[in-house]
Amino acid sequence: MPSPDLLALAVTLKMAALTTVILLLIGTPLAWYLAKMTSRFKVIIEAIVALPLVLPPTVLGFYLLIAFSPQHLPGEIWQQVTGQQLAFSFSAIVIGSVLYSLPFVVQPLQKAFEQLGDSLLEAGAMLGAGTIDRFFTIVLPLTKASFITAASLGFAHTVGEFGVILMIGGNIPGETRVLSIALFDHVEAFDYAKAHILAISLLIGSMILLASVYLLNLPSRKERE
Amino acid sequence: MTQLNLDFSLNYKAFNFTINQTINLTGITGVFGHSGSGKSTLLRAIAGLEQGITGSIVFHEKTLIDTTKNLCEKPERRNISLVFQDSRLFPHLTVRDNVKYAAKRCVSSQLNITDILKLTELDKLADANVCELSSGQKQRVALARAILTEPKLLLLDEPLSALDQTSKTKLLNLIVKVQQQLDLPILYVSHSVDELQQVCDNMLILSQGKVINYGNIHHAIHQLNFLSARLPNEQLIHQQTSLSLPIASTDNGQGLMVLTLTEQKILLPRLQGKFIKNQHLRCFILASDISICLSEPQNSTIVNHLSGKISAIESSTSDKSTHSVLVTVICSEQEFFVHISTYSQQKLALIINQPVYLQFKAGAVRTYLY
Repeated sequence: MPSPDLLALAVTLKMAALTTVILLLIGTPLAWYLAKMTSRFKVIIEAIVALPLVLPPTVLGFYLLIAFSPQHLPGEIWQQVTGQQLAFSFSAIVIGSVLYSLPFVVQPLQKAFEQLGDSLLEAGAMLGAGTIDRFFTIVLPLTKASFITAASLGFAHTVGEFGVILMIGGNIPGETRVLSIALFDHVEAFDYAKAHILAISLLIGSMILLASVYLLNLPSRKERE
Repeated sequence: MTQLNLDFSLNYKAFNFTINQTINLTGITGVFGHSGSGKSTLLRAIAGLEQGITGSIVFHEKTLIDTTKNLCEKPERRNISLVFQDSRLFPHLTVRDNVKYAAKRCVSSQLNITDILKLTELDKLADANVCELSSGQKQRVALARAILTEPKLLLLDEPLSALDQTSKTKLLNLIVKVQQQLDLPILYVSHSVDELQQVCDNMLILSQGKVINYGNIHHAIHQLNFLSARLPNEQLIHQQTSLSLPIASTDNGQGLMVLTLTEQKILLPRLQGKFIKNQHLRCFILASDISICLSEPQNSTIVNHLSGKISAIESSTSDKSTHSVLVTVICSEQEFFVHISTYSQQKLALIINQPVYLQFKAGAVRTYLY
């Protein structure tokens, strides 16, 4: 049986990895749509996407908790389809994380797509490349750095999540007990030694991840100058 | 003959474009107009890059768009390629990979990448990063790339506008070479009549989103002369005589080239480049460079004297304050255009059907390419 803290680490990494993959799959088309959109609804969608940046996590967590409960439609449908309750499950914290980290993925991608513009895509079309072809051979290689930034920020932000998970995940070891919650538990129990280990690991881990992202963006900045 | 049937309109807030014109695609067809005339819009519409078209475009019996039938072929499936003014090379690929990008997506693949790189003189630059190229080199890559899609129609949107004179001449020669070797119809957009005069067979003239003339290049330029005379404030073109005449001698022994105009001769400074006897040379003479005499000039350093008859005298209808007229003189069945002051016209009492002599220096006979 692994130690409770290692188990929390495993849950955290699994949650963050899965969240990042889902975020890239949802965030890319959403960012593309926003970058190309000219209608006035654009600002409304942008505001909704950016909301988690300013909203207290507990507000988001509170509404998600209500939505995920079997008494309400989303929770009810989930229970009918999967046979399990959505609230206080691993799936719940992944869904919560996706919503909570959405701006960290959508915003850098949207900015990159806007900067790229249409000119090279038109050139691609003139050389016989279709929409999907153009995305993989022109957009992706030229916005690679932004994709890495978006994925890293989404991942790091999900690892650092606390409020939303506390509200909708509870504290179930091996299921919803992530590192930030485990740290909180140690502090509550006055076990500062264990709390220190988790806190410093999270700090160093996040620092390394962010430094790598900035390092990666460095050459492309020079190229632009 | 390949035909392009254009019958559509496009409406923007401040700009309306309407066209109903059939274009016979032989050789290079020029599209001339000032900025805002709709030249680029026309090319983009044919390529499929312009949204909001109402009407139809049919190319070589294939419908590219027909809004009444709710039909619109995607740009990548039209078999038409467009070379943009700003090259638009893929910065993450080398010269060779930019060119390969097109070749890979070409269905028929008759052309060989190496041959096209050689034709466009890019063989030595094949592994270069496209960001390190000069504007002229970039446009050659863009041209090579477009050729390798093996289009049925090539569209060129002001391909020379960002280049210096030497690169312009080089690329223009290359475009002619490509057209001849691959027998590829080209629509060439430019705001420079000089460029178009050198390479085009026919010309479409646009103004404020409408076609104002279409036809043989020399004829179309001459129509522009009349239009400029009537609308002097529009500054359409420098009024000129556009010629394509056979070479009688590439060098008369005194550094002059001789062109045949039926029984008369035109002399011009000898040109660099390979020319053979009887080959047609495209050249133009500005209307302001020709003067009129009532008797044949003797004892003059001006070498060209042509005898002819006045066929028209055109003055501005809109602006009575202009003090000049455009005189058309027919010499050996060729129209010549002479820009003179109303003062001179009155002094010599010039009238229609009057026999006159035209005189102009050898240096006034210009070519853009050589």
